[in-house]
Amino acid sequence: MKKLSFRGGIHPLAKRHEGKAETSGKPIRDFVAECVCIPMDMHMGPPCKPCVQQGEHVKLGQVIGEAVGRFGIPAHASVSGVVTAVGPVQQLRAQPSLCVTIRNDFKDELAALEALGDVESAPKHRIIPAIQAAGICGMGGAGFPTHAKLRLPEGKAVDTIILNGAECETFLTCDHRLMLESPGRIVDGLRAVMRAMGVARGVIAIEDNKPDAIESMRRAAQGRDGVEVAVLKTKYPQGGEKQLVTAVTGREVPGGGLPMDARAVVINVGTAAAIADTVIEGKPLISRVTTVTGAVKDPSNLRLRVGTAFADAIKSAGGYREAPGKIFAGGSMTGTCAPDDSVSATKGTNGIVTLTEREADAAREIQCIRCGRCVMICPARIMPYRLMELYERGELNTAKQEHVKDCIQCGSCSYVCPSKRRLLPSIKSAIEQLARRRNR
Amino acid sequence: MTLPLSTGPHILGKRTTRGIMLDVLIALTPAAAAGVYLFGVRAAWVLGVAVASAVATEALWQRLSHRPLQVGDLSAVVTGLLLGLNLPSSAPLWLAAVGSAFAIVVVKQLFGGIGHNFLNPALAARAVLLTSWPARMTTFFLPERTLLPVASTAMVGDAVTSATPLVKSGTAMIDLFWGNIPGTIGEVCKAAILIGFIYLLVRNVIGPHIPVLFVGTVALMTWLLGGDPLTAILSGGVLLGAVFMATDYVTNPMLIVSQCLFAALCGVIVVVIRQSAGGYPEGVTYAILLMNVLTPLLDKLFKRRAYGEVKQRA
Ligand code: SF4
Ligand code: SF4
Repeated sequence: MKKLSFRGGIHPLAKRHEGKAETSGKPIRDFVAECVCIPMDMHMGPPCKPCVQQGEHVKLGQVIGEAVGRFGIPAHASVSGVVTAVGPVQQLRAQPSLCVTIRNDFKDELAALEALGDVESAPKHRIIPAIQAAGICGMGGAGFPTHAKLRLPEGKAVDTIILNGAECETFLTCDHRLMLESPGRIVDGLRAVMRAMGVARGVIAIEDNKPDAIESMRRAAQGRDGVEVAVLKTKYPQGGEKQLVTAVTGREVPGGGLPMDARAVVINVGTAAAIADTVIEGKPLISRVTTVTGAVKDPSNLRLRVGTAFADAIKSAGGYREAPGKIFAGGSMTGTCAPDDSVSATKGTNGIVTLTEREADAAREIQCIRCGRCVMICPARIMPYRLMELYERGELNTAKQEHVKDCIQCGSCSYVCPSKRRLLPSIKSAIEQLARRRNR
Repeated sequence: MTLPLSTGPHILGKRTTRGIMLDVLIALTPAAAAGVYLFGVRAAWVLGVAVASAVATEALWQRLSHRPLQVGDLSAVVTGLLLGLNLPSSAPLWLAAVGSAFAIVVVKQLFGGIGHNFLNPALAARAVLLTSWPARMTTFFLPERTLLPVASTAMVGDAVTSATPLVKSGTAMIDLFWGNIPGTIGEVCKAAILIGFIYLLVRNVIGPHIPVLFVGTVALMTWLLGGDPLTAILSGGVLLGAVFMATDYVTNPMLIVSQCLFAALCGVIVVVIRQSAGGYPEGVTYAILLMNVLTPLLDKLFKRRAYGEVKQRA
């Protein structure tokens, strides 16, 4: 069987099964916290406007933050209970986020949206608005509002919907478990999107280190119109949007462009399942599967209500095995560091990983020895060592000419560098400075 | 609880610069051991002094210039050992010491230290020694012992000097291969160099392309010019240079294509020097140094297409 892939890439934590062995066999378990703190800026774009007050009683699924603007999506109560606070709380972003805190009464009184019914018969034109109303955004991490991705600008056409089941990031097994436990829902979500966009081909792309998931999705895809499963080579960052488009369609996303510029749309498998839940049951996005692992006693895949504190999730995973030296949301390649464990899991939190102090100890950085490793593996095929040099010398214009903006921020270069150069942070700063310069 | 915030990746690969240098040292061990076996204790002294001088000079330099002490990265050890392996066993010990000190201070540290030198330090030092003390650098002892198997042509004897290490045409291939010939400490035993080469490949320290193209070009060019390709690659420092010096990360180009061109040109220059200088032995040193100088140019000339680049312009 042909295995699809891209050029470049690495095998992070190869000797530790990418950090996945501890959780890949663990079935998804529900966890409901006593209290949730829901940020209004869980998605990319304008944050929601809170529409509930302190002391107010809310139902499960009730809108607590209204969508702002055409790209905005609402936030919903992920538990029923009483609003105890509306105000800024330090989350994963640099500045505190406006949050709505709800104490759970564990009644789970439901305020569902209107269901559209079976994905094959639901009215096509109502699917994308329903996705927006359900507050669905990309669940692979970035949190781009899904309806905005599906609503193509004038003149753009797409011929392939790709479901991203690669899960190439280290430590994460939430998508893997979802593909084993709810394959039907994932295919339903894909079909809903295909129908809404009028696209005939849907590809579920999975890395070959998950043969059980491939098997499970194949079975679920049987007899469904235009749905196929593609097997990818296990390699990081195989699940990067651009890499996935290239692996599946053979086309490249033009520099500075989006997958739709290569006539494809990429959606995470978790997002697809959430879309199916909305279309079939009218369920807004109020929970998601998160892999809680690392230096915890009982690494787990938990279905967490949106807004669950990291501390509660970690407690449910047996608590700390050792005092944490670092905690991040996501995998170890691109995860975002948490300042402490009080922050909330959001719609995009696919993993909560803790490292021991020893593991978190930063290695000393020395000079580049021009070994070429970063150059060899960069999936964007730019020159990481050189861009870092240019950034350090302040030569941002040259860096721009040398395609610094095409960096997909996968971190592979930093990972392989024997001199432990902080390549990605420098490249990221260069990109940010260029963006700021343009805005000025 | 306040935890450190940093940009990913949060766990880095296991490979370190020190680890790579250690691998290179391990790979050089067979060649060094063979040299000591063939040329006797004197060779061990030359190697030892070269290494010690390189490490001491680097430590002293970093101390005096108030830079962090970085000898722990082992790169000075590699430089010292490489220089030692490029000296004849007859070399006076002060020559080894001076050569290493020159390599570290002038070629490496004055240009900014590890990673910033544009010439291979060991080779540049060897070239300077050759110019300054040509007689001492080209007096070669014959091996004291031989490595088996030996053909009848093996040249053994004690303290007989030979003016040129390019052996006379009658020498059996087998002696060229095992190192039963006069030459520098590290270059004579091709078997040992090949063991080191295989180790570097297995440990993924280098790819095969540079040594293969370098040696291949020498063989091809020699054959085209009517010489014997096998003798050409087994004599002099071709193999040692191709495996250990042309593959030096710091002084060769970054992209695989430009590395291939670099290696092939090295081979061409070696043959040109050998032809024009009538068997001049140090062609390899100058060939690699010349290509070191051209490396920044090769890095500039060869650009690869970034992901998504062409279509953007279309
Ligand atoms: S430069 Fe960017 S795209 Fe290339 S390896 Fe580094 S982080 Fe990934
Ligand atoms: S991997 Fe590190 S040492 Fe090697 S070329 Fe890149 S930046 Fe330099």
